Amino acid sequence: MLALAWVAALVWLGWMVARGLHPSGDLREFMPRGQTPMQRLVLDEMGDGPGSRLLLVSLAGLPPERLAALSKGLAGLLRCDPRYTQVVNGDFDLTGLVDRRLLPYRYLLSPTLDRQRLDAPYLHVQLTQRMQDLGSPAGELLEEWLPSDPTLELLAIAERWRPATMPPLYDGVWMSARDGALLLVQTRAPGFDPTAQQAAIAGIGDALRALADGGRATLTLSGPGYFSVVLSAQTRRQADWIGLVSTLGFIVLVLLAYRSAGALLLGALPVLSGALVGIVALLSWFPSVHGITLAFGFTLLGVAQEYPLRVLSHRRAGESALTGVRSLWPLLATAIASACIAYLAFYASGVGGLQQLAVFTITGLLVAGLSTRYLLPLLLPSQVRDVAGMAWLARARASVDRLPRPRWLPWLLALAAVAMLVAAPGAFWQNDLAALTPLPQAQLQRDLRLRTALGAPDVRYLLVLRAADAEGVLRLSERLEPEIARLRAAGALADAELPSRYLPSLHRQRLRQQRLPDRPALEAALRQAQRELPFKAGTFAAFVDDVQRARAAEPLDAAAFAASPLGERLAAMLRTREGATFGLVTLNGVRDPAALQALARAHGDRVQWLDLKASAEALVVDYRDRILRALAVAAMLLVLTIVVALRSLRRAWHVLAPMTLATFLVLAVERMAGIEISLFHLVALILAAGLGLHYALFFEHDSDDPAEQRRILHATLVCVASALLVFGMLALSDIPVLRAIGLTVSLGVLFHFCLSLLMAPHAHRAEAAR
Amino acid sequence: MMLWCSAALPLPCAVAAPAETAGFDVDWVLRKLARPAPMRTGFVEVRDSKLLQRPLRVTGEYRRPDADTLVREVRSPYRETTTIRAGEAVIARAGGTRTFTLDRVPELRQLQASFGALLAGDRPALERLYAIELDGTRARWALTLAPRDRQLAARVQRLTLFGRGAELRCIETLPADGGRLQRTLMAGAARAAAGIDDDAGLVSLCRGSG
Repeated sequence: MLALAWVAALVWLGWMVARGLHPSGDLREFMPRGQTPMQRLVLDEMGDGPGSRLLLVSLAGLPPERLAALSKGLAGLLRCDPRYTQVVNGDFDLTGLVDRRLLPYRYLLSPTLDRQRLDAPYLHVQLTQRMQDLGSPAGELLEEWLPSDPTLELLAIAERWRPATMPPLYDGVWMSARDGALLLVQTRAPGFDPTAQQAAIAGIGDALRALADGGRATLTLSGPGYFSVVLSAQTRRQADWIGLVSTLGFIVLVLLAYRSAGALLLGALPVLSGALVGIVALLSWFPSVHGITLAFGFTLLGVAQEYPLRVLSHRRAGESALTGVRSLWPLLATAIASACIAYLAFYASGVGGLQQLAVFTITGLLVAGLSTRYLLPLLLPSQVRDVAGMAWLARARASVDRLPRPRWLPWLLALAAVAMLVAAPGAFWQNDLAALTPLPQAQLQRDLRLRTALGAPDVRYLLVLRAADAEGVLRLSERLEPEIARLRAAGALADAELPSRYLPSLHRQRLRQQRLPDRPALEAALRQAQRELPFKAGTFAAFVDDVQRARAAEPLDAAAFAASPLGERLAAMLRTREGATFGLVTLNGVRDPAALQALARAHGDRVQWLDLKASAEALVVDYRDRILRALAVAAMLLVLTIVVALRSLRRAWHVLAPMTLATFLVLAVERMAGIEISLFHLVALILAAGLGLHYALFFEHDSDDPAEQRRILHATLVCVASALLVFGMLALSDIPVLRAIGLTVSLGVLFHFCLSLLMAPHAHRAEAAR
Repeated sequence: MMLWCSAALPLPCAVAAPAETAGFDVDWVLRKLARPAPMRTGFVEVRDSKLLQRPLRVTGEYRRPDADTLVREVRSPYRETTTIRAGEAVIARAGGTRTFTLDRVPELRQLQASFGALLAGDRPALERLYAIELDGTRARWALTLAPRDRQLAARVQRLTLFGRGAELRCIETLPADGGRLQRTLMAGAARAAAGIDDDAGLVSLCRGSG
């Protein structure tokens, strides 16, 4: 009855959790808050910047004319979909500018007027060129433009706005011989949010299939958002598969150890309760729960699986479960309390992600521990087989007792650990979280190929311009233009997309306006320029009108420019926050980061060079420092708790020494194997230390009762075997993040077990007695 | 006689060929037109535009210095040399040189490919790009090419090549969007055009009725 109620409560909790839990993939929530506006901007740009929201799309597998039609259809559908902020497929035409009131602004937008006045000599050169254009095979194409635009100003703007590199056009859209029709799609969702990116990616596929023939084309994607989806799916798939195999192994193990199916089912309830209540606690304490918190939290909660196993192993024949638990409880309570107190240090760290981790783990451990103490015994059958009676266990215990335990062994191991840590090759810390979830080489190569073909911006580097307002940013951007051009010529980068490329500052536009001639002057210049040329009189009246309109027009600011086809593009480059305006300059083909860094330095704090990878690594370093500080506090709290609980410095030493030595030994062995230590290794080390604390506590407690000794050995062996089973499987994974956790915990469990066995005090007592 | 004929550049020597229709087909014309590089021929083009007081009469020379290069050199009334090679067009004028890639103007690339096919006598390649129709006799033929490719067809409705025997004398290009017909006179027709100014005279020179 109680069992049913417990299970029902868990099901209800599970349903609540499933409804309320939407783990966020936003890495920034897991990171310390930025201190300066620039730091906060960096944090935003890491996941939200133009580069990280860009998907590179290719359609292939059909003849080019079909692909071109699909590209146009797909772009049309996606442009109406709010999930995408920008869709570019190459049909880059200026009709938006041409048909509207913006057309006369071409004289303010084009740089021609900076060098040139619209006087008779210049117009004569231009008109001669236009006559020759009409005499060329391309004359037809130009004819309709010439009356209003004989200097081809629109072409000059198109040249300026067109990216430096673009794929070839076919039927007006980008088409590459190798990858078919190419599109750039910018999602509204940030790149690191796999759930939202998954939806955006699915949307592209759905839109394509909605088109005639769309299902027959091969859709390929690339870009940060796509990769985050691929990686999380890949990691989850492998973790699920490994989880299934190790769960089966665990079931077999428990059945073998206790010969009871009931034990198996009941043994799972405390951890399950801990996890579910832990999530409920998270949901009620924090507005959103981070995915990494859950991943780390579930890992750390692995300790709690020991509680029911200990209870099961310590059952005595003819004794009620309740009595058994009571005798075990002081030790178990010490373990639970010391772990919980240690995790309090994480809560005090002040970092959102770590606080979540502390709340989840402490709640989970307490619930699992208390339910093991107060609920589980009521459900266990009253009659069980005492494991102490097993013959093999007695033999095992005897051989354990016979193991040599030289007093110098721990000191030798400590010395070896120090030596290995000092001599280990490579860097100690791994700061690049992405290195733990690497992408297949083929996908990286395709990404590079598409990125180069499309001239898509670099996702790593960014220049940030800072001024009081948008006009200030545009003026600063204009000052940078010649410097960037010099760097481009020197090969330091392929292209930089400066905001002033699309919109000159009001100041610059006014200067150009002042250079435009008035109607009589322009008409006189035209008359003079046309002499000797075969153009009909009055051909260029529309030109004269447009120049007059440009002279009188109010210069375009960023808001007015928003109506143009490139308005959104400019808007995406300007950010206003905390009283300042920031201009984001995306770069591509960066070959000499140092030169760009020097350029930024020369402009003081108005131009900032951002290396998002370096910034992310700096954040990881900062984050790790906080974990390490929290760990130091946790270690002190742990020492204090153990000393108070055991009421003896000497006994506390016997518990803490093997645990500490084993932890450093794991570090040393991994470092010696060339492994760089990441956040995931640290969390795994903490879990292993939690398990090691149990082994050491129970072995230290070793009573003089041989039966009890055997039960402790049995419980510890089952715990070690199950931990090795679960984490040993993870260690075999080919995904580095899973391998990091698996290998560290497996090594930890082995070392903790061996050392707490060899350094346990009873052996010395036994030796002394002999 | 045959040797002299094939060695010489477009000359009206094929006039001597019998005018009967036996063996006269597209293959025959293509065989006659095939010219290994290097080759050159003078041209006269008359380009009309609603912006101009009178049509522009452009003379110069088309050259194919090697199989992959096409040069259009204008000598009068101004000097301009356009060189199309390796997917790039270079236009050299008195005011400077401009280069643009044909990737951005795929129609031009196709035109270049069809000239290549024409001059190589490669009928299958030409048939892939155009529906071909032949009219006339060996002495006075007209080969009409209608683009199959949608992109090219959006620009050019048809090209008509007029010739006499082995001599390609004129190409008429009819734009798709109701534009004016453009005419390029070559070889003997270009030479004969010197001094002829009126439209009717040029049309008859082009079509070979003159």
